[in-house]
Amino acid sequence: MQELIQAYSWINLRFLLMGLWVTIEVSVISIGLSFVIGSLLGIIRYMKLGWFSKIVGFIVDVIRNLPLLLIIFFTYFGLPKIGIHMGVMMSTTVAMTIFESAMIAEIVRSGILAVPKGQLEGALSNGLTMPETLWHILLPQAYKKMIPPLVSQFVSLIKDTSLATIIMLPEVTFRAQTIYAQKPQAIIPMFIMLALLYFVLNFTVSQLGSYFDRRMEA
Amino acid sequence: MSMIEFKDVEKYYGDFHALKDINLDVETGETVVLIGPSGSGKSTLIRSVNGLETIQKGQLIVNGQDLADPKTNLNRIRKDVGMVFQHFNLYANKTVLENIMLAPRLVLHRDEAENKKVAMGLLERVNLVDQANKYPSTLSGGQQQRIAIARSLAMKPKALLFDEPTSALDPEMVNDVLKFMREIAQDSSMTMLVVTHEMGFAKQVADRVIFMADGQILEDSPTKEFFEQPSEPRARKFLSQIVH
Repeated sequence: MQELIQAYSWINLRFLLMGLWVTIEVSVISIGLSFVIGSLLGIIRYMKLGWFSKIVGFIVDVIRNLPLLLIIFFTYFGLPKIGIHMGVMMSTTVAMTIFESAMIAEIVRSGILAVPKGQLEGALSNGLTMPETLWHILLPQAYKKMIPPLVSQFVSLIKDTSLATIIMLPEVTFRAQTIYAQKPQAIIPMFIMLALLYFVLNFTVSQLGSYFDRRMEA
Repeated sequence: MSMIEFKDVEKYYGDFHALKDINLDVETGETVVLIGPSGSGKSTLIRSVNGLETIQKGQLIVNGQDLADPKTNLNRIRKDVGMVFQHFNLYANKTVLENIMLAPRLVLHRDEAENKKVAMGLLERVNLVDQANKYPSTLSGGQQQRIAIARSLAMKPKALLFDEPTSALDPEMVNDVLKFMREIAQDSSMTMLVVTHEMGFAKQVADRVIFMADGQILEDSPTKEFFEQPSEPRARKFLSQIVH
């Protein structure tokens, strides 16, 4: 009991929460960037703009089939070899954005494809251009359908930030490790606390998602 | 002057020869009904008129522009040639009023007040003013189809294409839609090409009837002649099966 209370001392908790903030920062920036970049890539691939879409499609497929960890190694250890130096935080954010953009690109593309073809044909026959059709008709309907897969992608992104412990990003998992490395008795209390923090964070995100989903349904 | 002109048009889906040596002339203001068994190429033919299907050979001149030419701007053709589909294809994310007002706003840059006036006028014509702010999914098929036709008319098109406009409707809804189409056909400047199985409509409204089978036009006759003495045996057989 004594040990438990010691493990959850204010100093330790504050240390963990600062890590949680790093997790949130990396996640929010990566989610924001990859949503925009992924949407663009998905739209480009959907529109079948000749070789341009094919190249985008190829890159997206390659990235989607690589482990995220490899991409983190690439941005942290690989890029400096060609003269691009980034801090741990930046390397992680860039790696996550690259990986998640590819994942979101496919969610967006399949979301647009899931809108009944008649919507596209109706709009084109009505005289709308392809960009107008996308913007006014296809994307609003597609994003509505995409909320659940997008939210689960965001949740897995948040969880995957823990991979960056390997390049010593001081996020929440790394900090928990730091604590129990010094005090082996704290290992179980730290795992419990980590589980709790991730759960609260991710549960909040998915509840937020369901809220938007319901609101758009109405 | 012809509004729609097919010259030796061929269309393939892979190995399947969907349109064979199509030659067809639809004059401005004419109403032409296209009939034939399913799989005969009627829909493919009508969908190629506004570029929803591409043709592989021949010329297809619509409103003075050749669709076979890759440089032709499809949007310019579609602006003047509306299309009404079997399954309505109203925008699911827009209200009835917005469905009608969207294209005139984006494509014709019609003034907003004028746009609304035109749209409400059209809704009045089809007795659906009270549905203006509803979403399409809450309406019956017959209502949706009349709105889809109104949406096409709002663009003030020179020609309208109808691809089996009443085939997906419950029988009691069919007449409202046909009535609206008859009214439109009375406008002498409107060119109409209609794929339908409604022989009563064809008899009353069409100037000419085209009979298609296996991707070919087998008969192209004035309406009265077509129904009284079809020259083509397959057309005769087709008529005996569906006209009672």
